[in-house]
Amino acid sequence: MAHSSQSDTRRKLLELFSEANGNFISGQKISEMLGCSRTAVWKHIEELRKEGFELEAVRRLGYRIVKTPDKVTANEIQLGLKTKTFGRHIHFEEEVTSTQQIALKLAYEGAKEGTLVIAEQQTAGRGRMDRKWFSPKGTGIWMSLILRPPIPPQKAPQLTLLTAVAIAQAIQEVTNIVPDIKWPNDILINGKKCVGILTELQADPDRIHSVIIGMGINVNQTIEQFPEEIRAIATSLSIEKGERIQRAKLIQEILLRLERLYEQYLQYGFRPIKLLWEGYATSIGKEIVARTLTGTMKGIALGITDEGVLMLEDEDKQIHYIHSADIQL
Amino acid sequence: MKIQEIRELIRLIDQSSIEEFVYEHDGTKVHMKKPAAVAPVQAAVTPAVEQAAKPATEEVKPQASTQPVAPPTEAKPQELPKQEAKNTENLHKITSPMVGTFYAAPSPDAPPYVKVGDKVKTDTVVCIIEAMKLFNEIEAEVNGEIVEVLVENGQLVEYGQPLFLVKPE
Repeated sequence: MAHSSQSDTRRKLLELFSEANGNFISGQKISEMLGCSRTAVWKHIEELRKEGFELEAVRRLGYRIVKTPDKVTANEIQLGLKTKTFGRHIHFEEEVTSTQQIALKLAYEGAKEGTLVIAEQQTAGRGRMDRKWFSPKGTGIWMSLILRPPIPPQKAPQLTLLTAVAIAQAIQEVTNIVPDIKWPNDILINGKKCVGILTELQADPDRIHSVIIGMGINVNQTIEQFPEEIRAIATSLSIEKGERIQRAKLIQEILLRLERLYEQYLQYGFRPIKLLWEGYATSIGKEIVARTLTGTMKGIALGITDEGVLMLEDEDKQIHYIHSADIQL
Repeated sequence: MKIQEIRELIRLIDQSSIEEFVYEHDGTKVHMKKPAAVAPVQAAVTPAVEQAAKPATEEVKPQASTQPVAPPTEAKPQELPKQEAKNTENLHKITSPMVGTFYAAPSPDAPPYVKVGDKVKTDTVVCIIEAMKLFNEIEAEVNGEIVEVLVENGQLVEYGQPLFLVKPE
C-alpha cells in the first residue's frame, strides 16, 4: 500500500518549488538549499515523476514543475501550501477503511497538532449514527485533521461549526459558489449535501487530548457515481460548477482557512466564528423539523446561542435548545 | 456570573474537601454548602441580583428547561433522589463532560456498550455523548461493575450529570 510519512528533504524541496511558482530552479541551488548531493536531488525529482508530476529539466536552467497530478498525496498538497502548522505533517494512503480511524491511532501515539490524514479512497467512511459515507476512489476529499486545543472539553463542539465555516469559505474561494451551511455543519449547494463533517473528541473530564475532525467533501463525482438512493439529496462541487476542481488546491485553501479561524477562535472565542457561521446559515428564520432518537419537533429556527446550540421556537412560542438532531429544511 | 462558571464551581467544590463556599461579586452571591458527606453538593444561589440568579437555579436542576425534542417527561426529576440515595454508598459516578445527547450504543441497531452487571475497566467505553456532530466516547475511568444506568438512550444530559454508577473493585 502506497503510504508516505514524508522526509524533511522532500518537504523542503516542495517548499522551494512552491516559492518558484512554476519557474525554474537550478539543480545547484536545490542541492545547496536541501544540503544534499545533486544525485539525491535527482532521485527526489524521479519520485515526484513516478507520482504523476510532470517536471521539465533544462540544462543550465534547472527544474520546474509543469503539471501536477490530480492526487491528494502529501507532495501535491504541500506544493503551494501557505499554512504554518496545519497539513505540514501529512499521512497519505491510497486506500483506508476510514481516515478517522487512522487519525485516532496517530493522535493516541502523540501526533502533532495540524497532522492531516488523507486517502484517495475510503472503504468504510461513516457519518452520524454510523451511516455510510460514500467515498469512492479519486473523486473527493476524505481527510481527518488532528487538533489539540487548549480549551475545556465542553467547548469542543464549537469547533465543528468553525470547520464548516472554513470549508464554506474555501469552496467560495475556489469555485465562486456560495454554499449554505445547515446546522450544525452540513454544507449544501442548491439544497443538496456536498460536505459532511464528523468530529471525535478524546478527553479527560477537564482536559482535551485531541479533537479529530473528519471531513468528507464531494468534489469531482458525476451524478452517476452517487448511489441511486442519494442522488436526490447529494451533489459534488463539479456537478454544481460544471467543471473539474483541483482537489489539492481546495485542500490547501481549507487548511489555510481552518488555521486562521482556529487561531482567531483561540484568541477571541466563538463570537467572531458565530457571525461568519450565520452568514452562511440557510435555516435561520425558517421552519425546520428536528429529528432525534426520542422524537421529532417542528418549529422556527431562531438562530444559535453563543455556544453554537440551535434555538427552535415551537407553535406555543416555547424555545427549545437543540444540541444534536437531524435537521430537515 | 455565567451558568458555566457556576457549574464549574460546583464541580470543583464537589471534588474538593471544601465544606462551605461563599462568593460575592457585584451584587451576586453564591453560597454552597456540603452537609458532611451525606447528600451531594447543594447549590444555593441567593437571588441578590435576580437576573443572574434566575437562570442559574433553573439550570442547576438537570433537564428542567433544556430537554429539546422529547415531550416533557415526568420521569426525569425522579433521578435526583435516586442519586442521593446511592451517594451514601461508595459508588463511582461516571459523569458527562459536556451538554449533549447520550447514546448507549454506537448505532441505533447495535447493542449497548455496557449494561447493569457488566465489568468495566478504566478504558472501557461506556457510552457516547454527542453535541453538534462532535462525538465523545466516555470511558469508565475506574475498574468495577456497572450498578446502574441513570439515563435513557437519546436523552439530553447536562454538564456534570451522572450517567452510570459503578461499584469499584
